[in-house]
Parts: sequence; structure tokens; C-alpha cells
Amino acid sequence: MSRLNTFASLALVLAAAHPVHAAQPAPRTPSVADVRATLAAMPRGDVRRGKELNQTLMCASCHGDDGVAPTRNWASLAGQRAAYTYKSLLDYQTGGRHENPRATLMAVAVKDMSRQDMADVAAYYASLPAVAAPAPRLDAAAHARADRLARRGDPARLLTPCASCHGAAGQGGINETPALAGQSVGSFVRTMQDYRAGRRVTDANQGMRQFAERLTAEEIRELAAYYARMGKTGR
Amino acid sequence: MGTLMKSLVFACAALAAAIHPAHAAEPTGEAMAATCAGCHGTQGRLGTVEFMPLAGMAEQEFVRAMQDFRSGKRQATLMGLVAGSFSDGEIEAMARYFAGVKPNAAK
Amino acid sequence: MLNRRNFLKAGAGLALAAAFPARAAAGAGHVVIIGGGVGGATAAKHLKLTNPALRVTVIEANRSYIRPYGSSEVLTGHVGMDDLVVSYDALKSKYGVEFVFDTVTGFDPDRKQVRTAGRQTVAYDKLIVSPGISLQYQAIPGYSAAVAETRAPSGWIPGSQTALLAQQLKAMRPGGTFVIVAPPNPYRCPPGPYERGALVTEWMRRHNPSGKVVILDPKDSFVTDATMQLGWHRLYGYDIPDDYLSDMPADVDNRGKPSPIEWVRAKDGGTTERIDARSLTVTTRGGAVKADVLNIVPPMKAGKLAFDMGLTDASGWCPVDRRTFESSVHKDVFVIGDASIADAMPKSGFAANTQAKVTARAVAAQLAGRAPGEPVWGNTCYALAGSNYGLFVADVFRLKDGKIARVSDQRYLPLDASMAKIRLGAAYQQAWLKTFTEDCFA
Repeated sequence: MSRLNTFASLALVLAAAHPVHAAQPAPRTPSVADVRATLAAMPRGDVRRGKELNQTLMCASCHGDDGVAPTRNWASLAGQRAAYTYKSLLDYQTGGRHENPRATLMAVAVKDMSRQDMADVAAYYASLPAVAAPAPRLDAAAHARADRLARRGDPARLLTPCASCHGAAGQGGINETPALAGQSVGSFVRTMQDYRAGRRVTDANQGMRQFAERLTAEEIRELAAYYARMGKTGR
Repeated sequence: MGTLMKSLVFACAALAAAIHPAHAAEPTGEAMAATCAGCHGTQGRLGTVEFMPLAGMAEQEFVRAMQDFRSGKRQATLMGLVAGSFSDGEIEAMARYFAGVKPNAAK
Repeated sequence: MLNRRNFLKAGAGLALAAAFPARAAAGAGHVVIIGGGVGGATAAKHLKLTNPALRVTVIEANRSYIRPYGSSEVLTGHVGMDDLVVSYDALKSKYGVEFVFDTVTGFDPDRKQVRTAGRQTVAYDKLIVSPGISLQYQAIPGYSAAVAETRAPSGWIPGSQTALLAQQLKAMRPGGTFVIVAPPNPYRCPPGPYERGALVTEWMRRHNPSGKVVILDPKDSFVTDATMQLGWHRLYGYDIPDDYLSDMPADVDNRGKPSPIEWVRAKDGGTTERIDARSLTVTTRGGAVKADVLNIVPPMKAGKLAFDMGLTDASGWCPVDRRTFESSVHKDVFVIGDASIADAMPKSGFAANTQAKVTARAVAAQLAGRAPGEPVWGNTCYALAGSNYGLFVADVFRLKDGKIARVSDQRYLPLDASMAKIRLGAAYQQAWLKTFTEDCFA
């Protein structure tokens, strides 16, 4: 299979008309209907094949053999919703994601992936249990603040609870809404900053931005630690 | 001990020596860390995120990453080659150095 | 122009009006660095990081630096000349490094002073010289600095010749031949001529599809030769020579057809004997090659200043004590970067950067009355076979029996590397251009 991959990749390399850093197309924000249509066309994922691709496509180097990032700067994917992973990979491949230099690396890494490949690795990560990530310990007051935002929101700022889309246990919710349990702190904070600054815009109707920009930097850090500590422990 | 066993032991010892080169004098963690800076930022305090910022990284995280790169367990473009040039003790010394450096806030 | 004897004399007897008196307080002192390239800038920054009490002065002819690494990307329009310019501002404002923008015209190792064209006399406790390379244009009959500036640019030290070469490539007739004359060892940026050939070939596929690149080489091999040729094969249909075939992955399939890039080795007559600038013809041992654009990377030696200061030996490079890079000729004078003789270390920016750090620590230690610590150096050269096809050589170096030796024989991108890894290599190469510049200059 790896031989096959090499040949398929080769054709793509030869066809590549633009160098890595050529001007990127402006990302387009999809509607809820767009996202639904994309996900409705998602092929059925094969967990076993996804596990193989996690190695052969080098995903594991940053995201871990078992979807747990070996260093806390990259995203952990164990327990991630397949719909979210699939849509993210598609966004990277079609030029919708270049919010930071890390996204540039992802665009390069996913270039050869077929939609089936994307569905397969998405299925693999979804099959794995989320694992609690290293995070700064929150004192009781900080934990209470994060927990309140997560489960009750803040009506005064029109902040709906995170849990209403991301689940009470951070397990992810409807459609492409990602799981947050066990997410690495660096990845969580960076993602929120990218939403807040309007650099990341490929979620339906830019729904996440309105929440991210109403949170303080301190609240983002506390939420990052709060969600990082969720998930299976004792690894 | 049988000949096969002997040569196995010898082979293992040779392999261990090859994987974990022993150096008469070891550079300090800081001196070794300086060779990482061309990619990972001065003192590991990288501002961008293509490469991993190393400043403030937990010691265990650094040691495990380098050991996994060295053994090939963790795939890499060239980190396997770099990690293969340092002994366990040297990796630990680098880990201690980086753990003690304040990370770049602009990460 | 001063000859060496006059140069040394010019430095002598000027001590009285020392504008920069040396002062050796506890652990402190004045370190003067000549040359603000990768070696000099990195040394300045690291001296200040190691001991902020040190006074560090860089003497440099130019107000800003033009980086050579990545400069072949100007030829393909991927970056412009402006993108190569690096400012010294951060070294001044962030680290307190002092700059004298001037040319060194005299050197008195006994009085520990250098003199500049602007008639400043600068006294030092320790002197670090990072003079780079000089291109030996005259080593190729028919070639000269004047020809390089007008007809057949080298563009190996970036500047007007780089811009000229880019212009010539764009103006080349359809189906023309871009000839690169590669240099003999040792030279700056070992994979560089071959990367340049690859990038020009890639550019021509889009802009001059019947054009071709011919690399004429006085050598039979080069660093990264196997992985680079594999890239050429995959991207441009280049036929891999028989002696490289046995290690190649199974997708390699020589077609026996002419390819848009050709490498003529010494054993195939690739050694250049002379050039004719008017007709742009290169006469090699194997015959005459007519170029439409002629890019000559001439033989190299240490930068001219190293000769003027008497720091070179018969090889044309600077012998140094390998632990500290202190000159074998003059005490308290250190020579780092391409100009130094560093055994297994290549003449590369990365190598100069790690040499500068080792030497900065050694100099700071000596000034504080301590022995220099155990050195360790590194080098990573990324190279592109195409803008999305990255490869590399990576090494760690240590002192072994008084010489600098590489630790491992595993140095290259494996020949069976996946395309994901190869593309990531290219992305990392682009990232490295930024992070490396930051580590040296900011």
C-alpha cells in the first residue's frame, strides 16, 4: 500500500502548479447548509485503515500513535468527532485553513489525501478514548469560573454554555462541533485566538468567533486547562 | 555461554553503544541546546509554530520526544538524525536546560 | 589597495589615538567582531546573551546584510532581492551590540588593534573575524569579476549578480540552455549549485518549457547527491546514473530520454578548462558547451580580509584551534564561518551559526578566567529539488582527537521517504529561512 501511495503522491507532486507559499485563496465561510452537505457526502470511515494511514501519512509524528499529541503544542485527536476531523482535513486541503504557520504544514501534509483517507483517519481518531492532557492545575476559584462558563455560560455577555454544543463531558456535539476533552492546552488557546482574531473562519457562519471574542485571555487559558484535564487518566 | 549467545550479547552491546554513544566529555545542556536554535528559536523561545518551541517544555516530554525520534518510534523529517547524535544523559541535560527557560509569551 | 605587508603596517603605530580603549574588568572586556554576516552577527548576539557586561562591537562595511541562503529563490521570482535584506537593528536595540560601519584597513596583533578606512582605531581584548569567502574568478581562464558583473554572473555572494542572473533567465530565448559551472571542494553551501539547477528547471517548465539546465562539475559527487537526483528524476524525468541506481526505490525508472536537467560529472568530462565570455561557451574536458545563460560558481577561498590579516595558510583557508576557533597564527584572534578550516563541518550558514556560539562561549569564558567548555556543533542544510520537494543533510559535530568529526553516518533524507515527508521538508525549509535568520540577527 505504501508503494501505491508513493505513486499516487508522485502524480500530485508533478501536477502541483504552485509552490508551498504561493498566495492563498481567501477562505470562504460556509453556511450551516453547506456544512451539512459536506458531511452528508462523507464516506464511511474504516478504523483499521485509518490507523495505518495515521502512520504512513506521518500524522502520528505530531498527533501521536493513539491520537494523543506527544508534545503539548499540537492538537490531540483521540476521541475527536469524525465529522470535525473530516471537515478540518477537507478545509486544509481546499485552502480554507491558513490561520497560522502550523496550518501551512497541515495543508502540505494532507495534500494527497483522498476523501476516503480523510474519513478513515477521522474514524480512527473517533474510535480512541480521549486522554487527559498535561495542564496547569486550576485553583478552586478558577475551576469554578471555567466550569460556570462551560455549563451555564454567561447570559450577561450572551455567552451560551460551551457544553450546549461541545457536550457536558467535552465530548463534542452535533454536526462538526469538536470534542474538547483532553485537548492540549497550546492547541486550545491558539485555536481560540485564531477564532477571536478572525483568522479562522471556516466554521458554519463563523459561529465560534462570537464566543471567542467575548472571552478574556484569562478565561481562555482557564477553559483550556479545564478541558485538557477531562478524559481518561492514568496513561 | 554458547557462541551464538556470546555473539548476541556482543551484538547487543555494540548496538547499545551505537545507539547511545558515550562521549568522554559532555557539553553543557545549554551548549547542546544552542545547536537546536537555528530551527527552534534562540534558547528554544520560538515565536512561530512551524517548529516546536522548546522553552518551558516539561523535562519528561522533551526526553520522551528525543528518545522516540532516536529509536524511530516517532517519525520525523530529520529529528531522528539529530536525536541519534546525543546520549541519554545529554538529552536529559538539554531537557533540564529547556525546562528552565521561560517560554515566549507570543507563542 | 593595500598589500598584506602594508595592511599589517597600517595597523601598527596608531595606538595613541585609540578611540575604543579596551577595558578588562572582571569577566568583562571588549570583543570586536569583523564581519556582520551569519558568523559575526550570531557571535555578537551570543556574547551579549552569555555575558551582557561584555562590550561587543561589530565592524561591518554594509549597513544591512543580504542573506545568501535561499537567494536562488530570487532567480525564480519566489522572493525578491528586498526579501534577502536583513537589518542589524535588533542586534543594536535588543542586545546592545555596537556597530562601526566601515572597512578594516589595518591590523596590529601585538597592540591588539584594528584600523578602519574611516581612520578609527579600535582596540580589542578578543577579536573574532568572520570574513566569509572570496570568489576566485581568475581561477577560470576567461572569467573575471568584470565578466561576472556583466556577462556570466556567479551570484554566489548575493547582490547585483543575483539580480542580473534573474534578469538573464527571464530574457533567455525559448529552448535556451542555462549552464551552471559548479565549484570544486571546498565551497560555500554544498547542495546550493544543484538546488539552483533544480529551481531553474522547475521555473522553466512553466515559463520556457523547451529550455534546459546543464550543470558542469569538476567533481564526481556532491552532498545530498542521491536524494537530489531522485527528486530530479521524479520531477523532471532525469535519468539517474548507473552508479547511483542500486540504492534507489522501486519507482525509479530511467527512460533513456533527454531530460531538462543534466549533470556532467568530472568523469564524464564536466571539468571546466576555460570560458569564452563573448560567445558564452564553456570549454570542458569533454568538449564545448554553448550557454544562453552562463552561471559560474567559481572556486573559493577565505574572504580577502583573512588574507590581508595574515590568517590564512597555504590552502587559502584559516587554520584554527578546533576547540575555540582561535587562530593558529595570532593569539586572541578567532576565525569563524566559511573562512575557517573546520574538518568535517561544511561551509554553510548553519555551521557558521553554531561555530559562532561555541566561540562566543569560549571567548566569554576566557575573559572570565575560565577554561572553555566541551564544544558541540551542528549543521542542517535543507535543499529543494523543487519548491514542494525538500531534502536535507543533518549533522552533529564533536571534537575528536583534536579534529571536528561528525557523530553519525546517518545524515540524509532516506531514499524511501514518503511524499508527505518530502513535502514537509520543503515547508520546513521555508520556515527555517525565517527561524534561522531570527536566531542569527534578532
